[in-house]
Amino acid sequence: MSVNTEGSSNYEYVTARVRSRRAKLFDADDYRKMVRMGPGEIARFMEDSEYETEMNALGSRHTGVDLVEYALNRNLSKHFDDLLTWADGSLYEYVANYLRKFDAWNVKTVIRGIYTDAGREEIEDDLIRTGEFSERTLDRLVDATSVEDAVETLSGTIFGEPLEDAYEDFESSDVLVPLENAVDRAFFGHLLDDIGQPEPDAPTALYREFLEAEIDFRNLRNGLRIARSGAEISPEEYFIEGGRLFDGEELRQLASNTDELVTAIRESTYGGDLSEALDELESAESLIGFEHALNTALLEYSEKLSNRHPLSICPVLSYILAKEREIENIRAIARGREAGLSVEEIEEELIQ
Amino acid sequence: MSKDVKPTRKNLMAIEDRIELSERGHDTLEKKRDGLIMEFMDILDQAQDVRSDLDDNYERAQRNINMARAMEGDVAVRGAAAALKEHPEITSQSKNIMGVVVPQIESTKVKKSLDQRGYGLVGTSARIDEAADAYEQLLETIILAAEVETAMKKMLDEIEKTKRRVNALEFKLLPELHGAQEYIEQKLEEQEREEIFRMKKIKAKKEEDEAAENAQEAAEAEVETVPADG
Repeated sequence: MSVNTEGSSNYEYVTARVRSRRAKLFDADDYRKMVRMGPGEIARFMEDSEYETEMNALGSRHTGVDLVEYALNRNLSKHFDDLLTWADGSLYEYVANYLRKFDAWNVKTVIRGIYTDAGREEIEDDLIRTGEFSERTLDRLVDATSVEDAVETLSGTIFGEPLEDAYEDFESSDVLVPLENAVDRAFFGHLLDDIGQPEPDAPTALYREFLEAEIDFRNLRNGLRIARSGAEISPEEYFIEGGRLFDGEELRQLASNTDELVTAIRESTYGGDLSEALDELESAESLIGFEHALNTALLEYSEKLSNRHPLSICPVLSYILAKEREIENIRAIARGREAGLSVEEIEEELIQ
Repeated sequence: MSKDVKPTRKNLMAIEDRIELSERGHDTLEKKRDGLIMEFMDILDQAQDVRSDLDDNYERAQRNINMARAMEGDVAVRGAAAALKEHPEITSQSKNIMGVVVPQIESTKVKKSLDQRGYGLVGTSARIDEAADAYEQLLETIILAAEVETAMKKMLDEIEKTKRRVNALEFKLLPELHGAQEYIEQKLEEQEREEIFRMKKIKAKKEEDEAAENAQEAAEAEVETVPADG
């Protein structure tokens, strides 16, 4: 992959290509059709769609809904790798920063694989080969024979230092929590790198706002999960810096009481966007509806930004989110149909 | 049996002792059977509740894991499951219910808090928490069901065994013993009657012999007293 992070960004070129890719995403009609199909029909439908190459390539190794899921992951990597290939300059940095979530995914997958003595092939199958890591780095990571080895391999990346710090905890407790939290926090912690503090109303300022919202939402979800479970977890372990809503101490205090946390969210800048989700959260016992509403709010927000600033990072970001949702929706339909969920139940879970 | 036994007074006494013992045993076993049935009914109610909980929990757990696999992906769910370090453990002790030894299963490390499940908090979602939660709940119910249903099975076996013993005593052993007792009593009565009859016969014969002897003696005496000129 040729990467040019110096010089000017090529927003016109990348956004034009992204628009054309976006037009190929499945629409509500496609989902309506798929929801009424069985798993076999869904696989056949995908063979005649954008996912044809991946379905054919993986058809000999996987079957059924597993085939669909692996094909979706591979297609996702192909599209996101293309974004990184097209982008130059600061646009590349922005996209790469965001796509590091897949680096984080891959690091966690490898560490979990080593931890459970999974085979190399099994680990490789579960990787999503996009993000900033080169194929060589990923191969070296998969070749690691111990968690320590994997941590060493990652030195020099954004995950290196946090993982080295968390390794001691891992060694003493022998659970993956410190390592996994370190990886995810490293990703979110570097999300705002290279953006700086742009002028208000500039596209990057809104992009920054979006990322801050994502960090806030992540902190909110985790705060609520801890409040619901009653576990005593220090905010230092999960709190992500960079959001606008809370600092770690505030979240720690609020996390001990769900009602107070909900009131704090209502009174925050997100109160309006999340009011319905909060009503549902207060009435239902489950957090799932609330998480669903957070995802929908993020997607809607990214689309709004994309329309306001067509020649900026915003349409690219919006496309990334839309593609991820498409993957999640197709997977939800295929897995849901396999598990015998009703059409209505699946439709409720889709994010469009 | 009644025909094999020797109709002696000693055997009659032995049989009477056995009848007494068997009747006592029968009463005790009947009480045990009734007690076991009452205990069993309690356990049965509990087992029905646990079974119904098990069905509900299984449905819920399957639904949650299906939802988690659908929304988060199979790989993410497998990954979160693989992160678990502290696996649940069970220890089994036994307790005694009316002489029936039933297991008492203690489980540890089944219900876990968010920080004990091994997966990182930051990169996972509430769906995985709910699936893990539902499976922990299911596992607890399975362990309880194993305890209650094993106790129920053992109680049922014991009730069956006790019932068979009660029935064997009531319908086989006791009737046979009573039959033997009756047979011996009849035989002994018969022997007694025969003895009396024989005694009577002997007595009559003896009297007959005595009478004959007396008659002979009288005749002889009469001959001796006849006059010479006669």
